[in-house]
Amino acid sequence: MDSRTSNKVKCELSQVLGPGGTRPVWKHDSKSVYVHIPFCAQRCGYCNFALIADRADLVESFLEALARELQWRLGTEHPPRSIETLFLGGGTPTFLSLAQAERLVTLLRKYFVWDAQAPNHEWSVEANPNDLTSEAVAHWSELGVTRFSLGVQSFRAAKLQLLERTHRALDIQRACDLVRQHGRQLSLDLIFAVGDETLAEWESDLRAAIDCCPQHLSTYQLTYEKGTQFWNRLQRGLLNEADQDHALRLYQRTREMLLADGFEHYEVSNFCRPGFRSRHNCVYWSGRPYWAFGPGAAGYIDGCRYVNHSSTTTYIKRMALGESPVVELDNDGDEMRAREYFVFGMRMLEGVDLQVFADETGQNWECLFGDQLRHDLEIGYFCRNNHRIQLTPTGLYISDTLWPNYLSSS
Amino acid sequence: MSQDKIRNFCIIAHIDHGKSTLADRLLEHTGTVSTREMKNQLLDDLELERERGITIKAKAVTMDYKHRDGQQYELNLIDTPGHVDFHYEVSRSLACCEGALLVVDAFQGIEAQTMANTYAALDQNLQIIPVINKIDLQHHRADEVAEEIVQVLGVEPESILRCSAKTGLGIPELLDAIITRLPPPKGDLSGPPQAMVFDSHYDDYRGVITYVRMTQGEINKGQKIRFLRVGQNHDVLELGHFRPQRVSTNKLSAGQVGYLICNIKSLTEVDTGDTVSIPGDHAAPPLPGYKKPKRMVYCGLYPSDGQEFSELRDSLIKLQINDPSFEFEPESSDALGFGFRCGFLGLLHMEIIQQRLEQEANLDLVQTAPNVTYEILLRSGEVIEIHKPQDVPDQGEIAEFRQPIVRCNFLVPEEYVGTIMKLCQERRGVQAGQEYLGGRMLVTYDLPLAEVIYDLHDKLKSSTRGYGTMDYELIGYQPASLARVDILVNGNRVDALSIICNRDDAERRGRVVAKKLKDEISRHMFEIAVQAAIGGKIVARETVKALRKNVTAKCYGGDISRKKKLWAKQREGKKRMKSVGNVDIPQKAFMAVLDTGDK
Repeated sequence: MDSRTSNKVKCELSQVLGPGGTRPVWKHDSKSVYVHIPFCAQRCGYCNFALIADRADLVESFLEALARELQWRLGTEHPPRSIETLFLGGGTPTFLSLAQAERLVTLLRKYFVWDAQAPNHEWSVEANPNDLTSEAVAHWSELGVTRFSLGVQSFRAAKLQLLERTHRALDIQRACDLVRQHGRQLSLDLIFAVGDETLAEWESDLRAAIDCCPQHLSTYQLTYEKGTQFWNRLQRGLLNEADQDHALRLYQRTREMLLADGFEHYEVSNFCRPGFRSRHNCVYWSGRPYWAFGPGAAGYIDGCRYVNHSSTTTYIKRMALGESPVVELDNDGDEMRAREYFVFGMRMLEGVDLQVFADETGQNWECLFGDQLRHDLEIGYFCRNNHRIQLTPTGLYISDTLWPNYLSSS
Repeated sequence: MSQDKIRNFCIIAHIDHGKSTLADRLLEHTGTVSTREMKNQLLDDLELERERGITIKAKAVTMDYKHRDGQQYELNLIDTPGHVDFHYEVSRSLACCEGALLVVDAFQGIEAQTMANTYAALDQNLQIIPVINKIDLQHHRADEVAEEIVQVLGVEPESILRCSAKTGLGIPELLDAIITRLPPPKGDLSGPPQAMVFDSHYDDYRGVITYVRMTQGEINKGQKIRFLRVGQNHDVLELGHFRPQRVSTNKLSAGQVGYLICNIKSLTEVDTGDTVSIPGDHAAPPLPGYKKPKRMVYCGLYPSDGQEFSELRDSLIKLQINDPSFEFEPESSDALGFGFRCGFLGLLHMEIIQQRLEQEANLDLVQTAPNVTYEILLRSGEVIEIHKPQDVPDQGEIAEFRQPIVRCNFLVPEEYVGTIMKLCQERRGVQAGQEYLGGRMLVTYDLPLAEVIYDLHDKLKSSTRGYGTMDYELIGYQPASLARVDILVNGNRVDALSIICNRDDAERRGRVVAKKLKDEISRHMFEIAVQAAIGGKIVARETVKALRKNVTAKCYGGDISRKKKLWAKQREGKKRMKSVGNVDIPQKAFMAVLDTGDK
């Protein structure tokens, strides 16, 4: 692009600079709630989430601690807040017994009600295929869950074994059938680039997943996180990390296959049938506020990001003593929040509308990162569609490399 | 105070042999500092010195002591640095003393470097009192160490004192020896005033504080004085002694050590080694100045942020005033922009200066790999000095390429002699001597300085389990077969990455450096070729593959804070890099060229 066109882009883009909204979007009332259920039957080798394995004995005290946190954060006087999305994540929420699940839901109902104004609320629960017996699916559905998100990871026995997952392909298919029979939405999580996984092997996983007819699919490249067994095995040379070129091929193939099958690729790792995005997760990427409860849970309220202590026992202890569960508290200025709004918004493939950016953040993008934005447009990492800035495929693949430039001024 | 009641002395000791602790004990025992006021190692007040446990700059302190003969004595202790890089400061201290305490660790014994400093003291006709320290240690071997001292110095065994600076054992005997065995200063009290400036520092409230040793006559408060070399006159506003805080008096007379405050606003107006006298025709003659320090190691220092060039210059000027042993001149590099080529006494000196710049001036620096000074005889007959590899002319213009050679003394337990000889031969050393020294061997080699400075000290320590020590001095330049290896990044020669090394080794070094750089440079959006070339011929090539996939898979509520911080940190990290063409080269890469490839 020569300098003339670049100036033209500059002028056109500058015109969309709005006056700024009256109240930035992060100051709105939170319409979303995340609750972290930190229990699993066992810890898998790749997992670094906040969880405690094989401690069913702690569930009761965890529920008490959660009750205290809800009270501590929300108070007792306030009438129940109206919300639009609820996400029970983990860990494995389905690790709870049906009675415990019921207690959890009763507890949440004291503080939250579905927003009557919003037509379709979304209540997701993460589930282990093995746990989804017909009673479990029936019970959770009765409680009001609208969407089951299954930690499938793979359909191949060898890969499941490497990932230390105890279910088989048959268990997954059975669980999916049950979810569909109850008329609930179905989402599957898959992991790729595990060990020496070939393209053909990954394609077979994708095909098997499509055959389960989910409305939503998340595909994650395996990452080696410090503190996991996989990390240690990688350091000792017992595991091989997939090379970038191969990982990219797997990712590209994912896009090709799912798009060909009619899925929408709406976020870096997320695909859905049209109309079935995860509304809860979209809140994270669109700079909107959300409550979060439980060990390791991270919330964003009044422009303030907080993270709870990630140890389940410490969390329980702190709540019992009436201490704050919070270990990190970031209260950046509006400028930083606007930068985050852009960076995390760009994870959505529909991108960020600069007019909307101005309205929702009250900040001037030109001042924050105008030059950088034009640079990345020229190079071809971004493309522009009216006022909307989107990642190109090239930009998408290397997008982490771009974000540092947007999070601070040069 | 009459001159025969004054004793001026310094302490010579190896690092960790207890010099600073001994100084503290003397201060305490003479009542100069009460135990309560005693911070450990009082004389090392520079934060950095404390951090590293070594003394860098000379200091002085005056102690009053009532001897058992009932007389009052004035003892002046002039502190000396203890590292091989700081020979220069040592010689300054020695010039102000009549005597020296040679402190030797009762367990470690004499070290190569202690010997070097002791010989320097003997050269200046200083009276030496050998002291074996740390005799409180359970497994000390004071008798053997005493034997070593006798062999090295040829002193009487009875003259060797034993003490423990830690417990205070033997300190009164030491003070006694200082008074009875060290000669008092001899200076004409009635002549025109004459004093040696041996240090100075800047005080925010009082201006320059000048440290002097009176050699003749006296200086009074209010008197007009002249710095002979600088050629400037000043009024003495205040003078006195360090006890260890400044305590003012009315005059300083021949033999005494103290300070002058003359309302001097800048350290540039005071020259260490200068002579203080009076203005006019009746001034005393100037004293011989110090031997100018020889810079052994050069490196480039560049601000990470090009905008900070003038801040860096100001900081360097400020540092140089307090430490004239280091020098700098502006230079520019295609890769690094504008910066300075700086000369140091040695590698430790270089590290200290860099740290001071980063800590005291809060500057982010990119440092290039250190190199020694070479000499080149051109075909035209002209001899040029080379301070940086990029200045090496084309091979065709060079008649002779010469490198600095040092004589290196190693003092090691007998069983390690073979190891040392192997180390030196690998580094193209030529053996110059070998001497038996009471259970240990003194091995002498002539080695190229370039082979010594980078890692020989570390290698010596690791291959002798810490027992070996070394010292070296420059003996001159010798012709050698040398070549310049250039590094090209995507076809562009990066001047700051060039190295000079032995021609026979050049190809191998080129390969090692290219490989190392490949690991240091992170993947970019495009492929990067790293090549090594000798005289235009490519001898090695490595490729940094293009970045293909870099995108976080999971980014939900909890990941946002984490990612945000990570990305902000990456941004900061990038500021410490230098761009060549459009390749970001991290600071560490500029040191990668030091990798010799041996294990």
